Amino acid sequence: MTLYIVRKLAFFLLAVFAASIAIFLLIRGAGGNVAAIILGKDATADAINALAQQYGLDRPMVVQYFDWIGNIFRGDLGRSFRTNEAVTDLVVSRLSISIPLCVSGLLLGLLIAIPAGTYSALNSDKPLGALITILSQVGIAVPVFWAGILLSLLFGVRLGWLPTGGWTNWSADFWGAVRSLVLPIISLGLILGASLTRYVRSAVLDVMNQDYVRTARATGMTRMEALLQVGLRNAALPIATVVGLQIAELIGGTVIIETVFSLPGLSRMILANVAAREVIVVQSTVMLIIIFVMFINLIVDLLYGVLDPRVRLAR
Amino acid sequence: MSAIATNKPAKSRRRPRWLSNTALLLGIVISVAFLAIALLSAFYLPHNPNVPRIPDRLLPAGSPGYVLGTDVLGRDILSQLMVGARTSLLVGAGGALISLIIGTVAGLSAAAFGRIADETISRGADILLSIPGIVTALVLAATIGSGALTTVLALSAFFTPSFTRVIRSAAMSVLQEDFITAARLYGRPTWFILLRHILPNVAGVIIVQFTLFFAAGILTEAGLSYLGVGVTRPSISWGMMLNEAQQQVGISSPLAMWPGLAIVTVVLGLNLLGDGLRDVLDPRLSRRGA
Amino acid sequence: MTLAPAIEVHDLVVGYDALNAVRGVSFTLPRGGRMGLVGESGSGKSMTALALMGLSPTGWHAAGQVLHDGVDLITETDTSFSKRRGRTISMVFQDPMSSLNPVRRVGDQIADVIHRHSKVSRREAMKQALDLMVQMNMPRPEQLARSYPHQISGGQKQRIMIAMALACYPQLIIADEPTTALDVTVQKQVLRLLNAAARDRNTALLMITHDLPVIAAMCDTVAVMYAGRIVEHGPVQEVFRSPRHHYTRGLLDSQPTMDNIALDGSSRLGSIPGMVPPLHNLPTGCAFHPRCAAASEKCRAEMPELGANGAACWHPVKEKAE
Repeated sequence: MTLYIVRKLAFFLLAVFAASIAIFLLIRGAGGNVAAIILGKDATADAINALAQQYGLDRPMVVQYFDWIGNIFRGDLGRSFRTNEAVTDLVVSRLSISIPLCVSGLLLGLLIAIPAGTYSALNSDKPLGALITILSQVGIAVPVFWAGILLSLLFGVRLGWLPTGGWTNWSADFWGAVRSLVLPIISLGLILGASLTRYVRSAVLDVMNQDYVRTARATGMTRMEALLQVGLRNAALPIATVVGLQIAELIGGTVIIETVFSLPGLSRMILANVAAREVIVVQSTVMLIIIFVMFINLIVDLLYGVLDPRVRLAR
Repeated sequence: MSAIATNKPAKSRRRPRWLSNTALLLGIVISVAFLAIALLSAFYLPHNPNVPRIPDRLLPAGSPGYVLGTDVLGRDILSQLMVGARTSLLVGAGGALISLIIGTVAGLSAAAFGRIADETISRGADILLSIPGIVTALVLAATIGSGALTTVLALSAFFTPSFTRVIRSAAMSVLQEDFITAARLYGRPTWFILLRHILPNVAGVIIVQFTLFFAAGILTEAGLSYLGVGVTRPSISWGMMLNEAQQQVGISSPLAMWPGLAIVTVVLGLNLLGDGLRDVLDPRLSRRGA
Repeated sequence: MTLAPAIEVHDLVVGYDALNAVRGVSFTLPRGGRMGLVGESGSGKSMTALALMGLSPTGWHAAGQVLHDGVDLITETDTSFSKRRGRTISMVFQDPMSSLNPVRRVGDQIADVIHRHSKVSRREAMKQALDLMVQMNMPRPEQLARSYPHQISGGQKQRIMIAMALACYPQLIIADEPTTALDVTVQKQVLRLLNAAARDRNTALLMITHDLPVIAAMCDTVAVMYAGRIVEHGPVQEVFRSPRHHYTRGLLDSQPTMDNIALDGSSRLGSIPGMVPPLHNLPTGCAFHPRCAAASEKCRAEMPELGANGAACWHPVKEKAE
């Protein structure tokens, strides 16, 4: 297990390193002169040079890169050109919206997908099993923002139960904040749940056809016991892998759903900065998101090691 | 265990046959209709979708001359939807095609050219996979500006690693077949085996994946355009229409219905087509996956 | 007092949709008896075994009567049948590689069976599991018990499977080709263990295999299945020495022995012409008639039942003169 952890940890660091180079090169390479991008088309050459000098953009790329990476590890994500705000401050205040939204969305998705996928795997010949299959197929085709729009139409506009947008701070009005997050979480969870249902379904189908489930039954487990004690325990392995792969999608969904419900989360900040061509802010925030996704993947990998003795005990 | 005992009931339980057949038929019908509308939009549109006609603004569906009504600037909804179909086709298929080409080359190389190539390509794909597509799109939008081409690039960057992995594992399983060993013993060079034996055998997988990524591409493009970092006017995209509808007339507008329905229908159709093709073309995969 | 038989099967039919893989099988296996069930793949022997365990694959139906321990297993609910499986009737499967739960330690898997069916504590169950492993000739049982299936050999896995099957002293063990997946050198040891352990417990054994020598060595009686029916049934010695059904005869002739393998390569090994008929296209009358040299018009028209001579055949093979 130790070797497994070390290997996964090493890959995590390598991945973060590789991704940071990719992002850095993409922004500096594809974008051309950063100072020119920031100042826009009408800027004079002198102004561009002055800005470049002020922010050290005229130094060699390698120096700039390590400067940036070093600062990130020190928790310094740089400053906005226009407002001079520290990116770290910009990000941290927004995470109190984005992280609960993203995590609850994932949990809701699993809460839907595990029972629904399991049921439809075992009862595909029954009407409800077929219905779940059809619903999940349709759900996969629904863009998360349209789900959000439809839900806020129904529960916000028509029924008036929940807010269709806006945000009050956790500390100012806790339950108000919760109410603002309900519809976004449901939209995210439903759509994620639809695609996870398919994976759970196929994982359960696969596992329940395995010989060891038959052995469990042959030694006295009822169908339900074999499913719960042996089937799901083994199906957890492929499901964990899929959840890891869905994290990247989940982030995308979170960004979009924050926009639908005008939540002042991370995404609104990024979008504003993309529009304003605040290259440094975008570069650092994006890197943070990537590190987050990779970290979750690392956790999933380690979890996989715990779940599967074949991995855990391998040399 | 005899073969009948394990395989046959399991396979037929997966999805009732009438359901798969209906699904495939529906998928074909929707996909063909979608392609037809997208092509038609290049030759005929009821109105110019970008020219505002303020007197005709916000007409309901069924108004004379405007089958599905008009938006807040009096632009014809139907015409916009038709152009949107063309955009979805170009961007979705474009992204899927680029990742198909790169992914096939990379996947086959990973499978056939030894451990080092495999590790490099597979780990590289793993790294790219953990970069959310939306993040790539945002970075590209911040640097080279948003637009249809940027969106295609972002989609390709997002899909290529998945494509690579699927092709790699399909090629790997073909590589284990006896006829490949025979070809190797016969002294055939690796590139010959790849082109002559492996590529035809993974062609089914490639077609299926192309269809599924096409659908995913439309969905992602819609999301990006909805955020305002995808397709921009004068091009028109369904996601962009939803964005405009929500911003300009508020959430309750019927304007938000049409583009949403269009996206769901087309993506569903392509997914059904892809799944159906998988049952037909690649029995190996369909037995494993849902 | 005579005990009821370990199992009594009457007219068992097992099928999927309109297709029957098992078409009316009857036999009785007394307590402590051992019966071999032979036949080619697809003859319905595995489906028979699964039906006796109540574990037919989903979508399959089983009908007839299976009397065991005072009940008809065909009509048992899943819950009450579950209380029997592993306790009064148990099964050893063909492929030990895939038949053990990969994420649970093998000692726990044996102890689970004991714990489930008896009132003993977890600790006591584990102790009994270790005892069983010793009986199965497994060295260092404590260490082995803590292993996961992927860490031990195929032969060891099958011993674990047998230990699980024997753990609760069942009346009947069904062994479905328990050694075909194992190395030849290990096969004999595993069979010997199974045989001895069953004998010690007076457990009846239903041995399913296409390995005729194994049956000759281990069983009292043998039933030969063809296309879902038993075509010949009798004491092992009799059936093997002088088979009455032409199919049995062909089966025995296609077994290599020192007599019929010529060293110069001109093999005299017999074979049965034709192929096992598919379920959806069974011949009329005796299902074997298209492949049988002795077939007559009657064989095409009427299906023979098992006769007093132990064979279901209209024109049985003449008794061999000793």
